[in-house]
Amino acid sequence: MPLILAVDDSPSMRKMVSFTLTGAGYQVVEAVDGVDAYEKAQAQSFDLVLTDQNMPRLDGLGLTRKLRDHPQFKTTPILMLTTESSDLMKQAGRAAGATGWLVKPFDPARLLEVIKKVIK
Amino acid sequence: MAEAHQEGSGSGVDFDLSQFYQIFFEEAGENLDLMEQMLLSLNLETADDEELNGIFRCAHSVKGGAATFGFSDVAELTHQMESLLDRLRRHELQPNAAMVDVLLESADASRGLLARHQAGGEGDSPPTADLVRRISVLASGNVAPPQASVVSSQQMSTPVTTPATVAVQPVIVAQAADKPLKTTRSLEIRIGPLDHPEQADAIKELFRDIPGLGEITALTSNQADTRVFAVETSSSDEDLLDLFAFHVSRAQVAIKELDDVAAVPEHGDGLFDGAVGSPKMVSYDDDPPPGAPLAPLPGFGFFDGAPGAPNPSAGMTVGAVVGSAGSAVPAKAAAKPAASVVQPEAATIRVAISKVDQLINLVGELVITQAMLAQNSRALDPALYQQLLTGLTDLDRNTRDLQESVMSIRMIPMSIVFSRFPRMLRDLANKLGKKVDFVTQGEATELDKGLVEKITDPLTHLVRNSCDHGIEMPADRVRAGKSETGTITLSAAHQGGSIVIEVRDDGHGMSREKILAKARERGMDVSDQMPDSEVWMLIFAPGFSTAEVVTDVSGRGVGMDVVKRNIAALNGTVEIDSAEGYGMKVSIRLPLTLAIMDGMSVGVGNEVYILPLSSVVESFQVKSDAVSTVGQGAQLVKVRDEYMPVIELEKVFQVPRFDPEKSSDIMVVIEADGCRVALLVDELLGQQQVVVKNLESNYRKVPNISGATILGDGKVALILDTGALVRRSRH
Amino acid sequence: MGVMGKIGETISAGAREYLTFRLDREEYGIDILKVQEIRGYEPPTRIANAPNFIKGVVNLRGTIVPIVDMRLKFNCSKVEYNSFTVVIILNLHNRIVGIVVDSVSDVMELPAESLKAAPDVDSVIDSDAVLGLGSLGDRMLILLDIEKLMSGLDMELAPDVV
Repeated sequence: MPLILAVDDSPSMRKMVSFTLTGAGYQVVEAVDGVDAYEKAQAQSFDLVLTDQNMPRLDGLGLTRKLRDHPQFKTTPILMLTTESSDLMKQAGRAAGATGWLVKPFDPARLLEVIKKVIK
Repeated sequence: MAEAHQEGSGSGVDFDLSQFYQIFFEEAGENLDLMEQMLLSLNLETADDEELNGIFRCAHSVKGGAATFGFSDVAELTHQMESLLDRLRRHELQPNAAMVDVLLESADASRGLLARHQAGGEGDSPPTADLVRRISVLASGNVAPPQASVVSSQQMSTPVTTPATVAVQPVIVAQAADKPLKTTRSLEIRIGPLDHPEQADAIKELFRDIPGLGEITALTSNQADTRVFAVETSSSDEDLLDLFAFHVSRAQVAIKELDDVAAVPEHGDGLFDGAVGSPKMVSYDDDPPPGAPLAPLPGFGFFDGAPGAPNPSAGMTVGAVVGSAGSAVPAKAAAKPAASVVQPEAATIRVAISKVDQLINLVGELVITQAMLAQNSRALDPALYQQLLTGLTDLDRNTRDLQESVMSIRMIPMSIVFSRFPRMLRDLANKLGKKVDFVTQGEATELDKGLVEKITDPLTHLVRNSCDHGIEMPADRVRAGKSETGTITLSAAHQGGSIVIEVRDDGHGMSREKILAKARERGMDVSDQMPDSEVWMLIFAPGFSTAEVVTDVSGRGVGMDVVKRNIAALNGTVEIDSAEGYGMKVSIRLPLTLAIMDGMSVGVGNEVYILPLSSVVESFQVKSDAVSTVGQGAQLVKVRDEYMPVIELEKVFQVPRFDPEKSSDIMVVIEADGCRVALLVDELLGQQQVVVKNLESNYRKVPNISGATILGDGKVALILDTGALVRRSRH
Repeated sequence: MGVMGKIGETISAGAREYLTFRLDREEYGIDILKVQEIRGYEPPTRIANAPNFIKGVVNLRGTIVPIVDMRLKFNCSKVEYNSFTVVIILNLHNRIVGIVVDSVSDVMELPAESLKAAPDVDSVIDSDAVLGLGSLGDRMLILLDIEKLMSGLDMELAPDVV
């Protein structure tokens, strides 16, 4: 069963994402921000990382960059959940090494659809 | 329960998001509270990135959740707040008091909107158009005075915490305009939200019609109601905005400078070339032909060639260094007031209050049962029952420890109580035209949750009082040789088994003469020889107020006596200290918890009554010659050099006498409200911890009785209201 | 919920269960759903200056409950406290009150049709609190709206009992 790391500082968003993913048969580990997520990433390997952009301590871009520097996560799909998809954001995401993005607010169906495309 | 309504982003699948509403409501509430805290402590002159980012994130978080869960009114308002905050955190605008005000009001409005949703969404949504307008005016960097709003000039000129920083926007605008005007700039212009997005297309016409204005290309937008354009122009932002104003309002235009980078090479399907593993599928992010309505956008995409993206393909790489531009949010350590929202979850758990109350009740029952066992085992021969008695002693200790532990669950820090005051004082000071600094001490001091709820109103009244009647107008203060800004201090500390809360101000204090005059006016019995401490206590009399003008803030004279009564109801005491010209201090002393009390049991006739041990001063056997009768049968007893009134409990409670031999000959001196009286009882029965039970839940308030408890033998004993008894003696 | 009070008003369909008890020579019935439990009489803790029919308060598994002696309230001729004396513990919208009665009989189900209007007699009991008269065999019951009765001001219980 694929294991997904879901990172968001908003508990309601985390719960929603978690619920959606587990309902579809995925296993989910939640993290509250970039630092927490990175720590959890040290402990185990994930098949996919879903991360919010705006978070305290370490934001989505920062987390993406750190993960890409880590040997185990060089090729893991990382999707950024962001409220805007301006070119700027896309550039930043691309440069940080993200695999793709999903614009908030999204609905659960969309989330699953996108994940299916990248998860192995 | 929140009402059921449409999900925010539409769903073709059957997902019920309502189960997350409650979490969202709580989370949003915390974010709004945090935002308010941070706004109030924001230093307008030297606001740092961390602070501004923190505030931005609060609004951003609420917006995200509101949009996801379909609360569009909240999403819209917080989106506006977020836009303003975004500009602030990017240092495109300088924060000022007007912005803080409108953001605070918007946070309030958001709370109101959320509350309405949480309660079922009945009725009309409160209007937010005015707030939105004010925010956009401020966000656009204009100084235009708001027209129909409540923001009075008074508010702008007398901010509470900082020296006046009147909105000096022209400076900022000029700076923006100072950008090199003749050099071509690359801009990203977002226009929306629009009811008719096609309106934005008229902007393109402008570039066609006006020579030299620049080049414009439509970009993709992730929102159906927003248009995004890339523009090359040498005009200033101001000029552009002015121009666009013919077609769309300024508030709907957001202009951003783009670094000089190659546009992100994407597949027609919104994927980054070169991103590992991006899928080659149907186009997601089509660039629509100009003027054509946007197809509903899926709002996601993959970077072609990015690690992990499906179907890797070789491709171009993005040229520029984007990292710094994108991460406007510095990855710093958690900001200072970042309290509850950011904490990793493991540190605390949420528990329903009812569960904690239930736990407290059960422990209370345990205490009673243990007391019963202790009582019933007193008659046992220690030699025969040594193990049992040892066990009971252990049980006694275990029960006490458990009780302390459980009671501490309900202990919460005073900061919870203190937190409402900065905002309240700010608004109040503004309204009155005064300058007030608010200082708190001992926020970490803990007290029982039940007390917190009951102490908040009296404290609020005292603080408002200090601001309204204590602190003088800035001009008066200066004239008196004081600093323009007054200080109100709220402090809390543990002292013995009590918590002492003080409200201090450095205002003009109280006038002894005025109070005595007022008291005489009301026919109260006062003398010029009364010590100050007693004079100050006069203001607690019902209807007493020395305010010349009754404002709607306080001063109706209904306040102080209610404050005193509320505190007395908590078995607490109030003391006042004042120095005319210098200030005033009100000290409140409360027992640490309502539910369990150290009591002294006394016997009268066949009945048992309980006294709060904290009120008991001493006890002694009385000789008849020590008691003298004065006036209309009132009795006094001489204790060392003091005469104090005697209260015969037998008379007060009309205790039936079955045994003529028995009589009351023990005096117990109690102190309450700063006065002492001696209670006449038959005997002292002992001291024990008692669980305080409420008489009023099933019966009613009984005079002179503050509650009831259950004794070791299972019988009910009434707990005496020492305050009431003392007051009785004064009549 | 239909209530029958005066002649001519409609009676609700369906039967109700009534707990019957005795005060002096009269038998009364109250809605069984309002009854929490039945206990023997134990001397309550007296509350000074309360009306005579409020005997005091007792400990009911940790809750303080007032005890009202209905025989005193209804001016019965004989008021005794013996082993037959019973206290009916009522739960009226989460207010717990105990009433002292001479004895408790049984629970009776009375079909609505059997209820008759109570004659307008000058009595100690507030006529608003009398639902009507029920009969079963040769027994005659006075059916009371115990909530209304206990919340009347003359009961001097907490102002918002029900």
